[in-house]
Amino acid sequence: MFAPTWAAALLFPLAMLFAAPAPAAEDPALLRDLTAVLMLLAKPCGDVVSAKRQSDNDHIATCKDGSRYRVFVDTAGRAAAQKL
Amino acid sequence: MRCAAIGLLALAAGCATVADAPPTPAAPSAAPAVVAPAVVGRKQPVKAVREVSKRAPTLDVAGLTARLRSTSAIGVFTKLALKNQMDDLLQQVRAQHLGGSASGVKTLRQPYDMLVLKVLAVLQDDDPSLAQMISGSREAIWAILADPVKFNALG
Repeated sequence: MFAPTWAAALLFPLAMLFAAPAPAAEDPALLRDLTAVLMLLAKPCGDVVSAKRQSDNDHIATCKDGSRYRVFVDTAGRAAAQKL
Repeated sequence: MRCAAIGLLALAAGCATVADAPPTPAAPSAAPAVVAPAVVGRKQPVKAVREVSKRAPTLDVAGLTARLRSTSAIGVFTKLALKNQMDDLLQQVRAQHLGGSASGVKTLRQPYDMLVLKVLAVLQDDDPSLAQMISGSREAIWAILADPVKFNALG
């Protein structure tokens, strides 16, 4: 009785820890790249604080001010940003 | 496209692959080839200085191209966006030259300067030597763009 209780006490926090969704691994270089391209495309953003990869050359960037953009390469081969 | 675009901002070809390339240290040969008065012989310093001052700013297109391609200071999206804007500017320059308007080309100086500033802005923190190289080549690149003969000679 004693042992299972202790085991549960130890395992429960661990389980909770690993059950929580893992934060997206943010590549600082990618965030800088997205920040720079939004600046070049004259999109108000400031710094990009997180990014979610949709596919190759297609990311959802979240800015420090909360705005979100889809940054991608369009069919004409141009870098494009679309406000979400 | 043109070499000027390359020299200007040769961020075009293979930008998706160069992003992962390791940064290369500034090659001595890539530096602007203006001879500093200090390295010229002491016998004729005045003449040497005059020659340097008369000489047009030099442009090492190959060096600039290599550095821009290999720099890791700019990501893939940024390189592509810059390339797009450079191509747009080159198209405008070409249109002005085709129209035979010398004054029209001059109106593109401001957009050109803005574009160079953008390049410098994205480079200056992570690759200051390349930023300096581009900054030092600004006039030489514009001299090519503004001259219809030089511009067309680039093919």
